[in-house]
Amino acid sequence: MPIDRDERDDVLLSRSAKGDQGAFELLYRRHEGPLYRFALRMTGHRWAAEEVVQEVFMTVIREPKKFDPTRGTLGGFLYGVTRNRVMKHLERTSRDLPLGERTDDGFSPETLTSKEMTPVEWAELHERRAQVRAAVLELPVEFREAIVLCELEEMSYEEAANALSCPVGTIRSRLHRGRALLLAKLEMLREVPRKANAGR
Amino acid sequence: MQDDKEITGRVPMTCEEFVLACPEVRSAPADGALRQAVLEHARQCPPCAALQASLQTLQDDLRYLGLETRQAEAPARVQMRVMQEFRNRHRTEKRRRFVWIGAWGLAAAATVVATVSWTTWRHEKGLSAWPGGLAQAVAMSPANAPTVKSAANGLVIEDTLVASSASGDFTLLPGSTPLPMEDATVIRVQMQRGALGALGFTVNEERASDVIQVDLLVGDDGLPQAVRLPGTSQ
Repeated sequence: MPIDRDERDDVLLSRSAKGDQGAFELLYRRHEGPLYRFALRMTGHRWAAEEVVQEVFMTVIREPKKFDPTRGTLGGFLYGVTRNRVMKHLERTSRDLPLGERTDDGFSPETLTSKEMTPVEWAELHERRAQVRAAVLELPVEFREAIVLCELEEMSYEEAANALSCPVGTIRSRLHRGRALLLAKLEMLREVPRKANAGR
Repeated sequence: MQDDKEITGRVPMTCEEFVLACPEVRSAPADGALRQAVLEHARQCPPCAALQASLQTLQDDLRYLGLETRQAEAPARVQMRVMQEFRNRHRTEKRRRFVWIGAWGLAAAATVVATVSWTTWRHEKGLSAWPGGLAQAVAMSPANAPTVKSAANGLVIEDTLVASSASGDFTLLPGSTPLPMEDATVIRVQMQRGALGALGFTVNEERASDVIQVDLLVGDDGLPQAVRLPGTSQ
């Protein structure tokens, strides 16, 4: 559905720069979800994603002129700012990759099991997905971004390329390498318990 | 990476092509020929079939991982903080703009007051410099003034060249120092009122073209030291 001219991102941004609270609120509601999910999936922590989203919108409030409509969409710009903040966060904090159940990371394992399962099956599935989550968080940032946007957020290659300001071909190759790395990591993670069991 | 069409155009598919095409098939299931080629290769190549199965599992897991956080949104407290910042920012800006405008308004008003005061002061000072007032001096009719003849050494009023010992009525030109009267000569000349401006006096510009009589107190160096409007001194 086409967006009304008055509700276009650039128009809303210019109105909010002049103090229109309604325009800013609309912008916030339109973009916070995807940005929050991106930050959450990249950092693996709800608190970090909150901090990132807050900083991104603070930047929009304080420096609205940083966005240049001739260089792309506001969505792309916001992804760019979010990405920078995520990078800073990742540089700042040491890696924290608990493989067990996480209660404060914004993920809800309960949603995984829609069909009837035995406790053992559920535990295995739960463990495997925890491993996948951990493996995603361990990926190098550029591959993780591609996986998060294309696989988790289900963006098209073009949308992901726009969000990351890179060519579509780069997204394809990062995805390809990201998947290969994920497979290798998961294989490694699954090998360890197998070897431990074999040793008994 | 190879283009999909390029891959589909070659049958049978190689393992390298399979590795590239396998995820693409899941991403773009509408491409029937490519899908067919991938499935065909997987049937014939057990390692590639295993890879396909692993990729399938991985993509399922990733999809579930995506589903876990599909509805995730920033908590309301983030919006609250951001909106608070927005309000603070714009309230502060509004206040700052008000203060800025006020400050500039005050500065402008102060400048106007200072200019008016200075002009008035200069005007009053100018009037007091002329005994009897500038208005009287200006009111003098040039018709009553003696004629001026041109001489080789300047404008000289022949029949009214006066040597006055009374220097009290003269107003020193800006930058001049008082001279002993015995070294000075008084010369009466006619000039346009505007010329007084060149000597450093304030002149009513509306009447700058009026011709008036002026006594110049000339030093022994030939330069005027002071002026007097003769009609007002006598």
